[in-house]
Amino acid sequence: MDSIVSARRDEPNAAVTAAPERPYDEMLAPGGKVHKHYAALDARLATLTPDELAERQRTQERFFLLQGITFTVYGAESSTERIIPTDILPRIIPGAEWARIEAGLTQRLQALNMFLADIYSEQQILMDGVVPRELVLRAPSYRREMQNLYVPHKAYANVCGSDLIRQPDGGFAVLEDNLRVPSGVSYMLANREASKRVFPGTFRASGVRSIDRYPDLLLTTLKSMAADWRPNPQVAVLTPGVYNSAYYEHAYLARLMGVPLVEGRDLVVHDNMVYMRTTTGLRRIDVIYRRVDDDFIDPLTFRRDSALGAAGLFNAYRAGNVMICNAPGTGVADDKAVYAYVPEIIRYYLGEDPILPNIETYLCREPAQLSHVMANLDKLVVKAVGASGGYGMLVGPHSTKAQQAAFADALAANPDNYIAQPTIQLSTAPCLIDHAVEPRHVDLRPFVLSGEKIVVTPGALTRVALRKGSLVVNSSQGGGSKDTWVLSESKGDRK
Amino acid sequence: MMLARVADSLYWIGRYVERAEHMCRLSDVMLNATLDRTEAATQVARVALAAVGDPDPSKAQDPYNAARALALDRDDHGSIFSSIARARENARQVRDQITTETWERLNLIYLRMSDPNVSRAFEDGSQLFLHDIIADLHLFKGAGEATMSHGEGWSFLLLGVYLERAQLIGSLLEVAFGEGRRRKPIGDHFALTAVLRMGCALEPYLRTYTAEMHPRYALQFLMLDDDFPRSMRFCTQQIETHLRAIVRHAGVAGRVGPDRLAGRLRARLQYADIEELESQGASAFLKTVLSECADIHRSLYDAFVAYPLEERLPA
Repeated sequence: MDSIVSARRDEPNAAVTAAPERPYDEMLAPGGKVHKHYAALDARLATLTPDELAERQRTQERFFLLQGITFTVYGAESSTERIIPTDILPRIIPGAEWARIEAGLTQRLQALNMFLADIYSEQQILMDGVVPRELVLRAPSYRREMQNLYVPHKAYANVCGSDLIRQPDGGFAVLEDNLRVPSGVSYMLANREASKRVFPGTFRASGVRSIDRYPDLLLTTLKSMAADWRPNPQVAVLTPGVYNSAYYEHAYLARLMGVPLVEGRDLVVHDNMVYMRTTTGLRRIDVIYRRVDDDFIDPLTFRRDSALGAAGLFNAYRAGNVMICNAPGTGVADDKAVYAYVPEIIRYYLGEDPILPNIETYLCREPAQLSHVMANLDKLVVKAVGASGGYGMLVGPHSTKAQQAAFADALAANPDNYIAQPTIQLSTAPCLIDHAVEPRHVDLRPFVLSGEKIVVTPGALTRVALRKGSLVVNSSQGGGSKDTWVLSESKGDRK
Repeated sequence: MMLARVADSLYWIGRYVERAEHMCRLSDVMLNATLDRTEAATQVARVALAAVGDPDPSKAQDPYNAARALALDRDDHGSIFSSIARARENARQVRDQITTETWERLNLIYLRMSDPNVSRAFEDGSQLFLHDIIADLHLFKGAGEATMSHGEGWSFLLLGVYLERAQLIGSLLEVAFGEGRRRKPIGDHFALTAVLRMGCALEPYLRTYTAEMHPRYALQFLMLDDDFPRSMRFCTQQIETHLRAIVRHAGVAGRVGPDRLAGRLRARLQYADIEELESQGASAFLKTVLSECADIHRSLYDAFVAYPLEERLPA
């Protein structure tokens, strides 16, 4: 089966290793002129003194603290709660650009859902050699328990949060897909609440598209997964509990959808039906929006030591008596090695060229690419296939010789486990840093829902690398977030 | 219909905020009383500490540090800080069930109590500090009253408040008026006033009995007044009302135990009178009442929270 060597049309040209370019600036055109869609904000900023800006920043932080939008930092003696740093200056995206992002994300998720439906049934794409068989079947996130299971609308990834970046030429590209339990949507909504308070006039005048319907659309999406067999399905959000760092988001979504927030200990599985313990006895659940990783949802099927899920849950799912959203096993489609094949996957299922490009990716499992990576460890970013959150990676230009040597050994020992990408220049957006407006690197995480149909919310979480020059936006490593204004098509696009 | 775990958390929010408020008031009265260095003042401090369950009589000699520990000690599960932290922890676990307005009030108190500078705030003005917490707890209850649905969850919360209150006032009365202890019962004007303050009852008492202080009247007011929200009689009426509402929401009328227990307790207080109390001794009566409160708590768990699954599985 290994004889079929797949060809990626997007395979990077090994001769070229991109020299760092000037990052794209979200607000300023190369000549220093303000982009049209940033003009209103720029004018407003000119009327505010540094102290007034700082005061607004403090008000916003207090709002987050009071709402309990915090994560807990466990120290040696006591634990303290901190807010995720937020920046008051919105990041603005004109309508036409958004239309392209929206089309690209819809296309991508459609193809990824088809890919999941295929590899968990006929595996046609593997037989045709478009994606290497062992790449998929040996991925730790591939769940053979999902084989031949019916998933309504082929909607495996009901909630998807892909990370986009804007490249130096101004075009958006997908850095990674997030199909397991993507988080951050509560920050998108909370940042919006805050920025409406901070810049009400500018907000009103700019024609910002509303994201208020997200909870409502999420509920509709979840319900559509059980609509075949239950007229009015009971939905619940499954959380690992109050100590999880995203607990605020779980409670927030449950509250805004008006559905119960359950923990594993609230669930009982009996005769392949899932129930929650209520004051009036057991009540059946039809759809579980789980914010618990695959490994932990059912100790009988996955990790035995997990107390976060419910014993028997997966069997109830197999029996078709409950829907688990996102479906277990979706992680195989956001695997960092499979990522490299997504453009091919889109062409294979949809017969279209991808609207949003990938970042060029070297697969270390292929000898020619491995030797190129080995020769350029000081220029490339090397990532372990299974890791996430900014861990287990080597950022070539910022690494020491010793770190490079350690990665070279690891690469030689287990090349399948690594991919490499050129060091990418994230675009910069204006941020309020210590009373002054300065550019900082940002990415973009929009949220896409798929059930009966695919819906892209016209907004996103913009993550910010608050440290000067840093390219790491992960909140675990000094990143923050800010509101993202998507303008309606008629606004902000006029040249 | 609500999750059993959620009902449990709401019930404990009620208990913990009531406990925190009571502790604040006791500390406040103690600090205020002990500004005078009299024997009666020491007696007040002893009553306050005994009522919060601290058996160490030597602490009454240093009421300031006793109050400080009671308020801020993070390791003591009985401290005001611990009660607030637990109430807020429970609220966080049911954050989807309580309104933002209600949550904000409680979160604000917690943030103030857990501030690194909290010791200094206490030292700068301990009575003001305690007064502010009490006022904020009132705001919490008021925000809940004004913004939360008065359904099943609200009844669980208030059930927690009134069960806790009945037990706290019961313990206070036992310490102040119970016989059979070695110390002498409270008789003088100063100490009686302090006890009434601990029950937040001084002003309503004055309107009922005027400034004439008498142990009998004070006991009668805190035990049997019909309208005062901290009297035992009032509390037991509320316990019954909220349990009835819970049973009605659950659709299990006539099948469970706690509402029967609550009815019996309410009747006990309804038909008790002060002559009977005095002839039989307040201690024996209070002991029965406190043990019946504990029975209601257990029976509530058996019926609504920790029920055996076998009985509830679909046929």
